[in-house]
Amino acid sequence: MATDQEQMMPDWQRDFPYRQDQARLVTRREFSRMLCLISAAMVTGSAYVVAKAYWPRTGVPAGRYRVCGKDELPAGGTRSFQLPGSSVPYILLHLEDGTFKAYEQKCTHLSCAVFYKTGTGKIECPCHNGWFDAATGEVIQGPPPRPLPALQVVEEGNDVFVMGPGTKAG
Amino acid sequence: MSTFRNAQEQAHPNKNSTLTLAIIVVQLLLVSIQIWLLYSGLNNALEHNKGIAIPALVASFILFLVCCSLLYFLPGRGAGKKYNRRS
Ligand code: FES
Repeated sequence: MATDQEQMMPDWQRDFPYRQDQARLVTRREFSRMLCLISAAMVTGSAYVVAKAYWPRTGVPAGRYRVCGKDELPAGGTRSFQLPGSSVPYILLHLEDGTFKAYEQKCTHLSCAVFYKTGTGKIECPCHNGWFDAATGEVIQGPPPRPLPALQVVEEGNDVFVMGPGTKAG
Repeated sequence: MSTFRNAQEQAHPNKNSTLTLAIIVVQLLLVSIQIWLLYSGLNNALEHNKGIAIPALVASFILFLVCCSLLYFLPGRGAGKKYNRRS
């Protein structure tokens, strides 16, 4: 009996059957059914995106936070910081032209940490050679699909503050 | 009763096979469109363009229904035999 023989066969031999009636192939109907399942998974994914986008965001820090004093950060310098109550890493840049900029320190491609390349006006992601414009956060080249999310920076006296991402505009 | 189908089945015995293949290709195409919809919906939502997400979901759902109805029309094991039996 073929079935008895099959039981005796080691697994590797069952994967490469010699006789056609021993073949355990996926039928095209099964394949088509699997495509429908994948299709359903895509719908679920899209529904998740919608839920995520329209669900009210909670736990996002709002308001003003002091990062450091102006004299603590020389032109071309950077400082990493986090906002209280959030684990997102941010980076504060003091550009060579004297302006301060704050961005999320997570590449929009696969979340590697990004660094300011001093003197070039560009932010580099070393993982896949992605580059962002340090003045705007826009992507200059490489795989990142979106600009770096920026925080609004407020300079007051000798202090540099950032506005939390949950702050209402205006 | 007409013997048209019967004659067709005998003249082109692998017509069902071609049809099955075509349906699967169309299903693959639909799933790729869904992947694209998911990708663009996600990217736009992360960029705070929420407007794309809901139309992408609706389109994806419609494609899913089309995918399922194609599965329904896929020639089954009995396809062809039904007509041959009568002869
Ligand atoms: S993670 Fe930054 S370019 Fe890929």
